[in-house]
Amino acid sequence: RQHKISGVSSGCQQGGCLTCSDYNGCLSCRPRLFMHLERIGMKQIGVCMTSCPPGFYGTRSPERNTCTKCRSECDSCFNRHFCTRCRAGFYLHLGKCQENCPEGHVRSDAQRECV
Amino acid sequence: SERPALRALIKVSLLKHEPTGKPIILEGVFVGGSAGKAEGKLMQYHPLSLCNTSEDERQESDFITIVKLEHRVPRCLPLLDKARMALDKGAQAVIFDVSDDTNAAAELRETDSLPRPVVLVEADDAEELMGLVNKNEEANVVIEIKMEPKWPHYD
Amino acid sequence: RQGPAAPLCPSPCQCEEDGIFVMVDCSEMGLSSVPTGLSPLTTYLDLSMNNISEIQPRAFHRLHLLSELRISGNQLRYISGQALQGLHNLKVLMLQNNQLERLPDDAPWDLPNLLSLRLDANLLSKVPAEAFRGVRSLRHLWLDDNSLTEIPVMALDSLPSLQAMTLALNQITHIPDYAFTNLSALVVLHLHNNHIKSMDSKCFEGLLSLETLDLNYNDLQEFPVAIRTLSKLQELGFHNNNIKAIPERAFVGNPQLQTIHFYENPIQFVGKSAFQFLPKLHTLSLNGATQIQEFPDLKGTTSLEILTLTRAGLSALPLDLCEQLPRLRVLELSYNQIEDLPSFYHCSALQEIGLQHNQIRRIESSTFQQLSSLRSLDLSWNMIEWIHPDAFSLLHSLIKLDLTENRLSSVPVAGLGGLTHLKLRGNTELYEAFSPDHFPHMRVIEMPYAYQCCVYGSCDSYKPASQWDTEQSSTNEDLHKRTVAMYPIHADTHYDPDLEEFQLEIEESKLQASVQCTPTPGPFRPCESLLGSWLV
Repeated sequence: RQHKISGVSSGCQQGGCLTCSDYNGCLSCRPRLFMHLERIGMKQIGVCMTSCPPGFYGTRSPERNTCTKCRSECDSCFNRHFCTRCRAGFYLHLGKCQENCPEGHVRSDAQRECV
Repeated sequence: SERPALRALIKVSLLKHEPTGKPIILEGVFVGGSAGKAEGKLMQYHPLSLCNTSEDERQESDFITIVKLEHRVPRCLPLLDKARMALDKGAQAVIFDVSDDTNAAAELRETDSLPRPVVLVEADDAEELMGLVNKNEEANVVIEIKMEPKWPHYD
Repeated sequence: RQGPAAPLCPSPCQCEEDGIFVMVDCSEMGLSSVPTGLSPLTTYLDLSMNNISEIQPRAFHRLHLLSELRISGNQLRYISGQALQGLHNLKVLMLQNNQLERLPDDAPWDLPNLLSLRLDANLLSKVPAEAFRGVRSLRHLWLDDNSLTEIPVMALDSLPSLQAMTLALNQITHIPDYAFTNLSALVVLHLHNNHIKSMDSKCFEGLLSLETLDLNYNDLQEFPVAIRTLSKLQELGFHNNNIKAIPERAFVGNPQLQTIHFYENPIQFVGKSAFQFLPKLHTLSLNGATQIQEFPDLKGTTSLEILTLTRAGLSALPLDLCEQLPRLRVLELSYNQIEDLPSFYHCSALQEIGLQHNQIRRIESSTFQQLSSLRSLDLSWNMIEWIHPDAFSLLHSLIKLDLTENRLSSVPVAGLGGLTHLKLRGNTELYEAFSPDHFPHMRVIEMPYAYQCCVYGSCDSYKPASQWDTEQSSTNEDLHKRTVAMYPIHADTHYDPDLEEFQLEIEESKLQASVQCTPTPGPFRPCESLLGSWLV
């Protein structure tokens, strides 16, 4: 289920930018929004959003809030080492996406989790 | 004495057009001792994507990075480190559009040990290149050293 | 994505069918309230980036199948328990980037299946004790970028399934004993960018599963001894604090540690046994701990790959350093007072060694022997007078050697054929002009004197013509061949002397461009290698 990237429209007109340019899109975001560098073909533009797109997680800091890629086996994650939803073929257990579940757990394909 | 900066020929061929189409010929200036030949698909990188916190975005084929520098974007790294990071990410060469960042050229003038070409472009040449990027016109780029004849040709 | 014409798709939202279910996107549409007429089969509803300042009671009461609700980026100040009634299946609730000042206390939200709750970037100054009583299945909680001044201890007691939580970017000053005592499943805890000055010694009791603890950018005055109970801890950060000492056996309770980040602390003292028995630790960085006089005892810390111990008071290294650290890749020991070096023979994985700014006098044949992976060796700013002729002979991967500012009168070149960078500046007794043949891959070379750069052809206009011609005659043939190879000129074209001279000039500048030798000879630093004349 691929959702539209919530809280964003591309290019320089979108609402989240604080500063922006035609070629690079957003250069900085309004306070508390996340800067995501979105690749569209050969272009890469800055986009400001309230939550990072699927496959990315947000990191807040006093200077800047950025989106960073999750590990490849995660559809979504809390930080680099802790997944919250796995890609197909992987099963979640305590933040880890693995192909097999630990002893005492079985794989649930619907939830992609070890239950 | 300051070594004369070698000029670069940038030959741009649009991938969507037939291979026989004439390439667009633009010019730039090589940075420090990085003059040399390079070829690859043109790929834009946002200035913020070349920072310590940036993630590793791998491309499949050979590519040449183009970055439009903006003086309004706080420098997360010195330009030389940005150039090296782009080359470390696999770029065959790096093109910096310095039209809107006048200090960039000075920052990169005296540099050494760049493993592959780094070229500065500005004004019309930069505008044409960035125009292609903005329209997402996939293009192959060849960078060569421009041969400057020693004696100007007198008719 | 379907347009608004799809059945039961409230205007101006966009709906997408997912089998019998519906995904509704009303983001960025200038809405000021929750649209009515949503299908009971809605599983995903995005209301983010609108102007909603209030949610009517029972606004979602028919959406029993709703799994994900996004209301981030609006102007909500308060959401009552009644507002979220009926969301029995809700798993993800996104409320970040609103203006929430408080959470319901008496009638908390009843979301029995909620897994992820985002409350980051709001204005919460405290969390009522009962706030999370109705979300007991919660696993992921974001409370960062709010105005909390203390850990919401009572509220957290209701979350036995919590696995990841961030309380970063708040104004928390202290962590009391048993602050997280019921969070036995917590794996990740972010507390960075608060004002934490002190922590009680039992504040982390109960965190039996914690693997990541982030205390960076706080005001900790002392080493967080409370971590002793975190037996599963793998990643620990307390950089940018105000800690002055790391005690003996500091990490005795954390055998699983893989990374410890504690730079930007005024650390003066480090217990000799502080970093013992950390078999999974691969990076250790200590900078500026001036009270360290002895090399730390790293017994049992056998996986170390990167060791940085700079600006301390080390005067010697253990002879068995490499036996203790067989996997070392980077050894950075600059700005100490090291005089003698052991043999790094067993550190066969070493790629980088930094020993600059020490007091080393001699390099023996065994010092760097067998380091076949060594790429960079920095020995600058020492007192090296003598280097054994075979010292570098087996360093096949070495590309960067820095011997700046030593006392060398000669440098053995055996084994240095792969160098791209060689720095010898400041060795005032070193007069030899090394032939380029020793360094076929050289790109940057720094010599004590300008005349030593003449062998790199970087002084054509500062050299008497006769001397230039005689030296060049042997290489013209070779130069022409290489120029033609680089700039293919069709053999049959009419031979043009100007063009050839031009290409030689390009090749000349290429040569200059490919080997940068400094100091560059000049009018006052001619190429004559007459002793004394270049001193003018």
